[in-house]
Amino acid sequence: MPSEFQAEPRAINGRAPDVFTPDGWVPMRGHADDKEVDFLIVGTGAGGGTLACKLAEAGFSVVAMDAGPYWRPLQDFASDETEQQKLYWTDERIVDGDNPITMGANNSGKSVGGSTVHFAMVSLRMRPEHFATRTKLGYGVDWPICWEEMWKYYDEVEKTLKIAGPVRYPWGPKRGRYPMRAHPMNAAAEYLARGAEALGIDWTETPIATLSAPHGKAHPCVYRGFCVTGCSTNAKQSVLVSWLPRALKAGAEIRDLSMVGRIETKNGRCTGVHYVREGEWRFQRARHVVVAGYAIETPRLLLNSASDAFPDGLANSSGLVGKNLMVQLNQAAWGQVADEVRSYKGPPSLAISEHWNYADMGKDYFGGWSYMSQGPLPISWAKTLAGGHGLWGQALIDEMARNNHSVGLKMVGEVLPDERNRVTLADETDQYGLRIPRITFSHSENDKAMMNHAVDFMDRSLAATGATERWKEMSDTCHLNGTARMGNDPATSVVDADCRSWDIPNLWVCDGSVFPTVGGVNPSLTIQAVACRTADRIKALAARGEL
Amino acid sequence: MAASRIDIVATRLIAGGAAMLASSVLADSGLEHYRGSFANPTMVLPLGSAALSIAVNARRSGKPESGGSEAPTISHVASTAVGLIGLGFHVYNVTKRPGGLTFTNLFYGAPVGAPASLVLSGMLGGIADRLSKGEEELGPIGLTSGRAVGGVVSVGILGTVGEAALLHFRGAYHDPFMWLPVTLPPIAAISLGRDVIEDTVRPATTVLLAATAVVGILGVGFHAYGVARNMGGFRNWRQNILAGPPIPAPPAFTGLAIAGLGALLLMKARR
Repeated sequence: MPSEFQAEPRAINGRAPDVFTPDGWVPMRGHADDKEVDFLIVGTGAGGGTLACKLAEAGFSVVAMDAGPYWRPLQDFASDETEQQKLYWTDERIVDGDNPITMGANNSGKSVGGSTVHFAMVSLRMRPEHFATRTKLGYGVDWPICWEEMWKYYDEVEKTLKIAGPVRYPWGPKRGRYPMRAHPMNAAAEYLARGAEALGIDWTETPIATLSAPHGKAHPCVYRGFCVTGCSTNAKQSVLVSWLPRALKAGAEIRDLSMVGRIETKNGRCTGVHYVREGEWRFQRARHVVVAGYAIETPRLLLNSASDAFPDGLANSSGLVGKNLMVQLNQAAWGQVADEVRSYKGPPSLAISEHWNYADMGKDYFGGWSYMSQGPLPISWAKTLAGGHGLWGQALIDEMARNNHSVGLKMVGEVLPDERNRVTLADETDQYGLRIPRITFSHSENDKAMMNHAVDFMDRSLAATGATERWKEMSDTCHLNGTARMGNDPATSVVDADCRSWDIPNLWVCDGSVFPTVGGVNPSLTIQAVACRTADRIKALAARGEL
Repeated sequence: MAASRIDIVATRLIAGGAAMLASSVLADSGLEHYRGSFANPTMVLPLGSAALSIAVNARRSGKPESGGSEAPTISHVASTAVGLIGLGFHVYNVTKRPGGLTFTNLFYGAPVGAPASLVLSGMLGGIADRLSKGEEELGPIGLTSGRAVGGVVSVGILGTVGEAALLHFRGAYHDPFMWLPVTLPPIAAISLGRDVIEDTVRPATTVLLAATAVVGILGVGFHAYGVARNMGGFRNWRQNILAGPPIPAPPAFTGLAIAGLGALLLMKARR
């Protein structure tokens, strides 16, 4: 694993890498360790990076730390799947349960910008009813935030990321026009469209966070197809190239290659964080600490910060830190067609149907799912064929040789919260000397019913377009959420609607961990919307002197 | 019948406009059909007819009083016919895609209105031809009043505005200057249309048409800048000329506006 690729911090001595210029730099305000900053944010992904920008722009002093390196996409991202594995968080972890989760590519990144540096850019809004599944649909748990408010923040994030989406979106309440027009569809997307039309359901171009027109110094998408690795043209609107340049301009400091190991508390309040950088443990003082490490590292840090005052870990009076881990179902149907598809061209998920997020009839399970066209790169496809289809040797070689004719559809399906799916601490320690997380996950009967329905439906869609030799990939998952859920009751949640922990008033959590439920859509847009709302709430609380 | 001085200048302008329009078609369809790998052999037809149209219209513009062989007529009829056939092909290309007549298909399919430029080039060239030969009518339509040319130009500009509006919408009007070709030329077209209907020539129309001609030239610069904003800029020209905004498209406005100025001259002379 090329994890030593960028071993030296770049964001030091008053400057940070300019992501838009090869070898370029931008000025960055520095903060001394012993100076108490307003907000110390752990993680610079969809939650932390967004919040760092918004808080810095609101005038707070902000230091955001990330365990990963600070890349310049124009020069650091080779068109090579193996080289790009440097973007994934592949530190040692223990995965167990009936269905151990494969960690890395599909769910965690270790870079400034977090997983958004390699995310698939799919930027969907959760269905309004999915913010109140208990009340409206009879399962899961309600969010403490109403959908109308969330949709206001979706607007803000979509504008910032210049989401390229369809002129009219077929599902849900009316939404504003996407800032940019949808990209042209590749042949794989056309197969989704034809299949959906044959089955009589709606489809549309997927709203995605890659530019369909130039924006500032960022180039429009060149349809290179290296999207679930690093985008080397800056068309992909990751946090690295969207929120963070703004954050730096507003005076935030981004500390790369800084792994936070422990949050210090005194008299029931956080005082700062212990972090390791360049092999040296240091302590940064802070008035507020925001944990934004995503659904594994966030509970891990809270649990690793246990003290005499908080023996079960921080913010854990409910006992829910680490619990209710939710992946999303990522099963697929594949087939062969006569014409050349070359599905790896362009962004991988250019067409989508959210039909089964919005339709409640005809299901023998709770929850929703969407499905999208697929465009796996060669190594990823070989892994799918070997791991998901059981091909090996000559059979694998033969199948790879006709990759240009393969076509597939893949779901993003809702997993319900279940306390048995959880993150705990193992006894082993990692390279920093920190106890590593144990990630326990098992599919429920509900998951299995949804998978079966989804893959059957996707298979029928492929069949309707003439695909033959179809097969079903039943074993994949994507995304991570839960483990520090938000709610209205301190007994059943870790943080309140503002992402502020119930137990420690100056400790916040702002990432996918706070999701009470996940819906059937990719979570990045929702995480960023929650971060924007949190920033607004912090501003409001500060104005009232309630911070 | 000897043509008046004004007729000669007007003929020059109308033929010159037609040549300009055909140049835009030749370069634009050349690029775009190359991008489409000439998947259908008929995709070479607009290149041939536009090249021919440039030749005969440029010659007519240079020598407005030369009488004539049948070659120009063949060219103009061919341009018009190829343009009309192209319209059919382009509509088919859009509607055969999944979803049919959707914005995405209109954005990324064959541009539905583009072949109309060739039709306009053929019509304007044909009119210039007749005028140069002193023929006052084309069928039931009187030509020397300039109103017929004005009408063609007015409708032509509006069609071109439609095309620019659609494709600039595809680009999300990311640059404020992208509003220019969808705001100024329609005013010029409407002003010209009103002059044609009322058979008067307002000074404003001349100014607006001249400004439209300038917008067409400026557009080349803006589109070149748009190309430069793609990954690799002009160092990667072989990809970016095709991926970026079409550099030769905007002068279609210039060609039409020049022909429109010719129409105004005729209208002034006859009033």
